[in-house]
Amino acid sequence: MLEDGVRTSPLVAVPPDIAGPHRKRLGLIAVVATFGGLLFGYDTGVINGALAPMKEDLGLTAFTEGFVVSILIFGAAFGALIGGRLADAYGRRHNILMLAGIFTVGTLGCVVAPDWEVLALFRFVLGLAVGGASATVPVYLAEVSPAERRGSLVTRNEVMIVWGQFAAFVVNALIFNIWGEHDSVWRYMLVVAVLPAFALFFGMLRMPESPRWLISQGREAEALKVLKQIRSPERAVAEMAEVHALAEEEKEAQTGGWADLSVPWIRRLLLIGIGLGVFQQFTGINSIMYYGSQLLEDAGFSAKAAIIANTANGLFSVLGVTVGILIMNKIDRRKMLLGGFVLTTSFHILVGLSATLLPDSTVKPYIILLFVICFVFSMQGTIGPLVWLLLAEIFPLKIRSFAMGMCVFMLWIANAGVAFGFPPVVSALGIAPTFFIFAGLGVAALLFIHTMVPETRGRSLEEFEDEFRAQHA
Amino acid sequence: MSVMVAVSDSPEGAVALAAGVAEADQLDTDLIIVNLSLTEVDTSLVPATLNFKIVDRKGRDDRDPADAVLDEIRDHAVDRLVIGIKRRSPVGKAFLGSISQRLLLDSPVPVVAVKLGMRDA
Repeated sequence: MLEDGVRTSPLVAVPPDIAGPHRKRLGLIAVVATFGGLLFGYDTGVINGALAPMKEDLGLTAFTEGFVVSILIFGAAFGALIGGRLADAYGRRHNILMLAGIFTVGTLGCVVAPDWEVLALFRFVLGLAVGGASATVPVYLAEVSPAERRGSLVTRNEVMIVWGQFAAFVVNALIFNIWGEHDSVWRYMLVVAVLPAFALFFGMLRMPESPRWLISQGREAEALKVLKQIRSPERAVAEMAEVHALAEEEKEAQTGGWADLSVPWIRRLLLIGIGLGVFQQFTGINSIMYYGSQLLEDAGFSAKAAIIANTANGLFSVLGVTVGILIMNKIDRRKMLLGGFVLTTSFHILVGLSATLLPDSTVKPYIILLFVICFVFSMQGTIGPLVWLLLAEIFPLKIRSFAMGMCVFMLWIANAGVAFGFPPVVSALGIAPTFFIFAGLGVAALLFIHTMVPETRGRSLEEFEDEFRAQHA
Repeated sequence: MSVMVAVSDSPEGAVALAAGVAEADQLDTDLIIVNLSLTEVDTSLVPATLNFKIVDRKGRDDRDPADAVLDEIRDHAVDRLVIGIKRRSPVGKAFLGSISQRLLLDSPVPVVAVKLGMRDA
């Protein structure tokens, strides 16, 4: 989530937004645009549950399984890079419409794929759309919402992503328990994702372009026209100045690039950002989001019970993110990060210990499920949303665009790496050692955060920058 | 006419600024400070008697610092460019390129290059 303007007050004084028909319009925009987040979640989560029947139907090995799952995430890494540039060049609305089209094509391609190679190709296409949505939807939401509601609207997209995953788990559980005997049951699961893609496409057709983007293109009259739809009339006129200032700020954010990495303190900040993104993924949260049903089956559940039990992972992911967002600004960032990693690492160890030490029984799978759920909840309640917040606030304005782009790219690559490696590692070593590896990575993350990550809460961006620069000159 | 100085976020940048001030003083011209850093440039040591202006990098077009300086030379009546230089490792050069080298080779006006620890710098 790009928390645009988290710690910056409005640049220009504007009258408060008053009730009126424009509120409804803005609310509708938020609902439609967050279908992008929902799709992001649905398409990343649907593989969880579809994978077991797919493996049988297409004869996947541990290697091709990891390949088919992770190629979507590799695609997302590149989709995020390309999507951001396209949204700058052709507009946010245009980009979201295009993404809805790619979501549809990618989904249908996967549904009819005759073998794993074709499936992988269309999973990559879907990944491009997922990455593009991750780079465009939060920006669009931030740019259409008034300053005082910007944070909550952008956050809503983050919540929609985990709702999308949860929805995919529930739909998969339903479909599997009805048509579980069909060879093609995984195809039924995947095809459901075209529904939100259609909703996004036809909804977005009726939504306006971002006023900030229009102004950055010098299209003043159109920008004012859009603002008049989504603000009270007085506020619309007053806000033009603010939108101008924000468009300028965005231009400034794109100043820095590779050459600026020769400055030690900037290089250090970038390394911190990359480390945060990578360690967030090395918790293995997404190995649960992609392979949860499989994992629970390995833990001792029957196939039908595992896919149902897995919906608990989705539910607690939603609850975790909701709690995390509520408490995020009330606790020091470092404390919350360190606390989060202590919790996730402890639960990794508990999952590993229960998988090795407990004798096989009917209770054992439930104990493993309990610790996995605790892991998911503590991860999504702390590290998950917090890393996005930190990435949005640690970089000086002038290098923010480049630095965030690098960090998000590395985060996706780490995500893809874990997704790719998880099935072969589990099949070679088993559940317990895999979770002990995650625990080891968690300890490394704790050391990294303790020694490198600065506190940013309660400080203005300028204060933080001056201090950090003085310390690492 | 004026002297232009490119000030990076490094000790060499500070040395270049001091040399730029001396140069403008000697030639009795204005000073244009091109701020290559991503934060504000420290001008507390520039004497109040000197007429100077600061040009910041802004936007994607200024992403490359060497291009930013060369563009500014084109836009102003500049008769000398002052830069700070340092030895770069081959690896550093391969990854990040050398801004000083490009300015030395591509500047349309004479370049004064100063290093850390020079006499009178």
